[in-house]
Amino acid sequence: MTHTSGKIDGVTNGAALASFLAAGIGAFAVGVFVILNETGLFAAPALYGPAGGMSGRTTFAVIVWLGAWAALHRRWQARELAPQRIYVAALTLLVLGTVLCFPPVWQFVT
Amino acid sequence: MDSTLFSNRSILTMIHGIVLGGGALMALSAALFSLRAMRVANPSQASTPSGSPLLAWLVAFAAASLWATVLVGTYVSFPDYRAMPPEGLTDLAKFPRSLLQSNPETAWLHGFAMEIKEHFPWIAAMLATAVAFVAARYRSTLLTDKRLNGMATTLLAICFALASIVGVLGIFVNKVAPLE
Repeated sequence: MTHTSGKIDGVTNGAALASFLAAGIGAFAVGVFVILNETGLFAAPALYGPAGGMSGRTTFAVIVWLGAWAALHRRWQARELAPQRIYVAALTLLVLGTVLCFPPVWQFVT
Repeated sequence: MDSTLFSNRSILTMIHGIVLGGGALMALSAALFSLRAMRVANPSQASTPSGSPLLAWLVAFAAASLWATVLVGTYVSFPDYRAMPPEGLTDLAKFPRSLLQSNPETAWLHGFAMEIKEHFPWIAAMLATAVAFVAARYRSTLLTDKRLNGMATTLLAICFALASIVGVLGIFVNKVAPLE
């Protein structure tokens, strides 16, 4: 990862970028669990019966999100990073995750 | 007054959509406006912005409201929505999903609108939480650092767009097949 000079007001930007990228990873995880379910490749179990498989899909995605956030935060919190690539990666994952949750896409994939 | 004017699940649906979801949208729009309006264009010539703690609380409130909306929607309203009617029942008014699917003209409200409603809000809640964390950790820096402000504003704008879409679709679903 590229480092830059000059912290923002004396504070490193690593923690902010970790939270942004983790949100992108979480969004992508939601999309992946949804598309795996729709294609029949992996159906997350219902963790709360009345809510059905959605309870499993979303819980698993939240675990991925929090896990990714914890790992990235631990690694980046004291570092100053070049934000551009990380931010683009976060946005890309966010868009992909959102698109995978879009029902017309399921029909296209299946 | 008729004590059954609003059923429990109707009240819970209103809490989910109007109180929590509406509150989240209002807080998100206020936070978005504040992020731009309070931004310090030239930090070297300005004193430290005094409103940053309030902004942090505002974004935190938006994130908390979104999570509350998502969790109530998933674990309280959604089970009633997707409940299966008994075999042979013709009046599906109390079974919204089956009611929507029983008519080709309204089936899209489940196959499209409700499916989006099931997942988009989780993404919106994650985004709001990320920005709330940054607002709490960086405080005035969020208003003085142009790049950080831009990234946070963009993510919060996407969050607002997702939540708004979900809100509109929720109105459509509840208009045709309300939880009563």
